[in-house]
Amino acid sequence: MDYPIKPTKPGLEESSEEILRIRITLTSKNVKNLEKVCAELIRGAKEKHLRIKGPVRIPTKVLRINTRKSPCGEGTNTWDQFELRIHKRVIDLFSSQQVVKQITSITIEPGVEVEVTIADT
Amino acid sequence: MGRKAKKFIDKKKAATFQLMSRDSADDPGFGDAPGGDRIFVRVDNNPCSVDTLEDDGGGGGGDDDVFADAPGDFDDGEDGAVGSVAGARGAGGGGAASASASASGLPEHVRREILELGFPDDGYNYLGHMREIRNAGGGSAFYQNPKARLDLVPKDVKAYDASRIQVPKVEGNPHNESIYSVAANSVNVRVKKAVDPEVNALLDDSDLSRFGSDVEDLEEDFVVQANHPEGEDGIVEGISQYPGMPAVMGSVINELDTAAGRERQIDNGFPHEIRSRFVERNEEFDDEKPRERRPLDEQFDLLECQEYGSEDDDKDDSYGGYMAEEDESLALKLKQAFDDKVVDDLEIDDKYRVPADLLKDNDVKSKQLQDSAADLIRRCVEYADRYENENDDKEVVIVEESSDESEVWDCESIVSTYSNLDNHPGKIEAPMGARKKKLASTISVALGAANPLISLKGKEKLPVDYLPRGMKSSAEKVKGGSVSRNEQPRRKQHGQESKEEKKERKAAVKEERREARRMKKETKELYRCEAQQAQKVAATTGPSSIPLM
Repeated sequence: MDYPIKPTKPGLEESSEEILRIRITLTSKNVKNLEKVCAELIRGAKEKHLRIKGPVRIPTKVLRINTRKSPCGEGTNTWDQFELRIHKRVIDLFSSQQVVKQITSITIEPGVEVEVTIADT
Repeated sequence: MGRKAKKFIDKKKAATFQLMSRDSADDPGFGDAPGGDRIFVRVDNNPCSVDTLEDDGGGGGGDDDVFADAPGDFDDGEDGAVGSVAGARGAGGGGAASASASASGLPEHVRREILELGFPDDGYNYLGHMREIRNAGGGSAFYQNPKARLDLVPKDVKAYDASRIQVPKVEGNPHNESIYSVAANSVNVRVKKAVDPEVNALLDDSDLSRFGSDVEDLEEDFVVQANHPEGEDGIVEGISQYPGMPAVMGSVINELDTAAGRERQIDNGFPHEIRSRFVERNEEFDDEKPRERRPLDEQFDLLECQEYGSEDDDKDDSYGGYMAEEDESLALKLKQAFDDKVVDDLEIDDKYRVPADLLKDNDVKSKQLQDSAADLIRRCVEYADRYENENDDKEVVIVEESSDESEVWDCESIVSTYSNLDNHPGKIEAPMGARKKKLASTISVALGAANPLISLKGKEKLPVDYLPRGMKSSAEKVKGGSVSRNEQPRRKQHGQESKEEKKERKAAVKEERREARRMKKETKELYRCEAQQAQKVAATTGPSSIPLM
């Protein structure tokens, strides 16, 4: 619970120094990549000594589709169960905007969607 | 269950940004820096104003806010959308284009780039249609397939095991071409052999000479070419490695001295030669030597000794080229053959000369030709004599061919064994003819009768004379008829005839009836065919006045 205190330089925008509550939501179909990105984010944040909460693993959404295997109606009624899994992780940060920009400038794995929500203060 | 007292973030009062990829180099913020290819785009419509995350500063950020709806429409509904990268181009492009297209014309560097790419300089930014190849997906996504069995990769696919490569993060030098980082690091990857080395060697073997035909690619006059050793120096330059070329043959003939050592091993058959073209030629020559010698081989050796002296086993060095042996042998043989004959005799430019002409013609060059012509003429005479003599000895007997087939009679060939002289067509009659005959006979009888009237007799009142008589002789019938005729006028009055007369009368009547019955039966039998026809017609034609019996 340590708020980092940065020396403010004159001329610099105040907004970038203000501590904002930032929520980063990571979504992906691919768990591996998602976890990788997550870990990097957290690592980056910890390097900058930010207060971080996370990663919260939201329950996986499984989109299921059950279809008949047969293209016609003939035969034993066999069914395919197709599913699409969507994984979601949420990371909460307290940091300034500049820092967030830096953090999210990491190489993002393909297939991972990043959404950043900044609270209005 | 208590909810959290205060949420960390109230979404309705927060600005939400999505990380999307930048569109292209139009965007001044684009760069190869680690985060340079991405941009945060605001995706919500909340009234709160937060300092935007874009690094364009105020101007670009302001413009992007105008387009904030666009990505929102696109992405907001998709909670589980895949790859923001793929969907971002439009949004990023929209944002970026607004910033750069402020001028009516294009910026100088943009124009230069367009020209470099070959597009016309007409003020339209063709770069908007260009897609940069980036190192971060660019619309594609890698999904690790746990079920990929790379060891079952088919033989014609080379598989590289690069799983242990550590590709360093692109951090230190942002101006490096990061797309080459993977390639640079995979140099040391051990390549797994996809196919056997022998198979590889065969597949890579571009020397198809051992599979090629030997007599391909020969020019039409290769024979003549081969027989002119003088004119070959020009051909020698055109030697190629391919053994089928006539040039090779020419050069081979040039090198006959060195090749003389080879002649023993040359054989006529092609399979041998194909085998002998492999690399270790010397060993193969040794293999061929113990082959039994045919008379042709001996002839060949004799000829070669005559022509080239005794250089049989001296030189065994290499040709210096990849020459075909069968071409060489072919050339040599031809040379032997043609040396015996004068070249001029082969030319067909003058008119054709019969052997007799050659004999008579005294200025024929070689005696051999004359001899052969004389021999030819002699042989022809012999054959002719033999032919003629054979004919005198034997008579030509024409034997009538009697095959087994023709001996057998079949229904197709024979209708009757009688000839038409004996078997007049008229005598062959159909069954209808029999009845007509009967009819004719009865008519003749009837016509023969003196009485011109047709008398109807009997109970049915039939023209008795015209009916067929059947088995009974006509005389009897006439008699019977006459008896009945005689007795009828003698009928006595009622009550006045005696018993015997009565008996006679009764008997006569009975007889009469019997006759009548028989007559009727016979008639019916006779005209049965007719009756059937009539019935058929009546049946088919429908109701009519003809009463069917």
